[in-house]
Amino acid sequence: MINILVAFRTYVILALLIIVSLVFLSNNDNTQIRAIRSYTVGMVGFIQQAFSVIPNVVELKRENEILRQLNVNLSDEVSRLREARLENLRLREMLGMKSQEGFTLLPAEVVGKSLHLLRNTITMNAGEQDGIKPDMPIISELGLVGKVIASSSHYSVGHLVINKDFRASATVQRSRVDGIITWDGGEVLRLKNVAKNQDVQPGDVVITSEYSNAFPRDIMIGTILKVSEKPGSLFKEIDIAPSVDFASLEEVFVITAVPDTERISLEKRTLRTK
Amino acid sequence: MGTHIKYFFFSLLLVIFQTKLVVLLSLGNITPDVLTIWIVYVALREGQFSSTVWGFGVGLFFDLVTGNFIGLSALTKTICGFIAGFFYNENKTAMTLRSYRFIVIVLVVSLVHNTLYFVIFTQGTDIGLIRAVFEFGIATTAYTSVISLLPMFMFARKYAG
Repeated sequence: MINILVAFRTYVILALLIIVSLVFLSNNDNTQIRAIRSYTVGMVGFIQQAFSVIPNVVELKRENEILRQLNVNLSDEVSRLREARLENLRLREMLGMKSQEGFTLLPAEVVGKSLHLLRNTITMNAGEQDGIKPDMPIISELGLVGKVIASSSHYSVGHLVINKDFRASATVQRSRVDGIITWDGGEVLRLKNVAKNQDVQPGDVVITSEYSNAFPRDIMIGTILKVSEKPGSLFKEIDIAPSVDFASLEEVFVITAVPDTERISLEKRTLRTK
Repeated sequence: MGTHIKYFFFSLLLVIFQTKLVVLLSLGNITPDVLTIWIVYVALREGQFSSTVWGFGVGLFFDLVTGNFIGLSALTKTICGFIAGFFYNENKTAMTLRSYRFIVIVLVVSLVHNTLYFVIFTQGTDIGLIRAVFEFGIATTAYTSVISLLPMFMFARKYAG
């Protein structure tokens, strides 16, 4: 090695001195050096472009790794989007079912609620300007929430199912037994007016009744927890766990259906006549 | 070693001459390059390796004294010394120095030196490549070659006997 360096010492020293000179040259900041830098960049770019058809193995490997990582991320995203699409289809189907019944669902956010009183309510950020009127049912994706009792231009207030003044006609889905949903201030709802001889079992699902004038039929209310009978009473005592978790309620839908006044007035007149 | 100390002082004097006094010999914008003549002389006396190193040293010193484009003269005079070294023949040094061959060598080396020098020096300016080579490069080369007649005559007298 040293022999080679000695044999070519003139060329070695020439190369070394040229490099040193170029280092000195490159440290200048004048027009000439800027122009030379510009030519050099252009030339290097041209050469790189000319040789870009030849694959760079190291670069390709790195690019391959990045693309593989990207592929994993995208696959994950596709999976999540597929789930979202299925969920979307289910929700659309649900909404479509409602619209077939002739109702429109108005979305509203819960901006206030009371859960520890005997007359619990929620306040929503949608009001008369959105088409909301008193007596319209309020639901969530889990089931019946309550009904609107008052509305202003941009807000409305509704009674929750867990309100002493709330009443709703309900049906046991399996046996089609009817009753009235009430709340006595405890942890559970009550299904009242169910005769002792009716077929009601714990675990049965309770939905809104087709006889209800205030609510559309088949809206989930809850699941029967306990069925008991008191001596001297004609009716069963039925405890129901509400399907809606009122504590975590953030968004609701108001169904644009108001009770049929003609039907109510007819029923009232008939009762008076009797 | 003594020779190289002598070369050092000569180089010092010639750099000062090139930077301060050569304007007195200028024809228009063209000035002779006495440093190139000096490096050719060193090449013919000491060989390619020494002339390459001395070319770099003299060029860098000139750059540092003028301070306007550090590295340019170092580069061109390194190449100048390297090319001039190809004409080295230790048995014919005196003969080459006192003959027209010295002028021819100065002409060739100066042409390469000046072409490279002015091509780089005129980058980014309004002066084009052709003008840089012909108006400055060849003119300076010709003038330098004419000036190299003086040392040639001097060597002719010195080695006459």
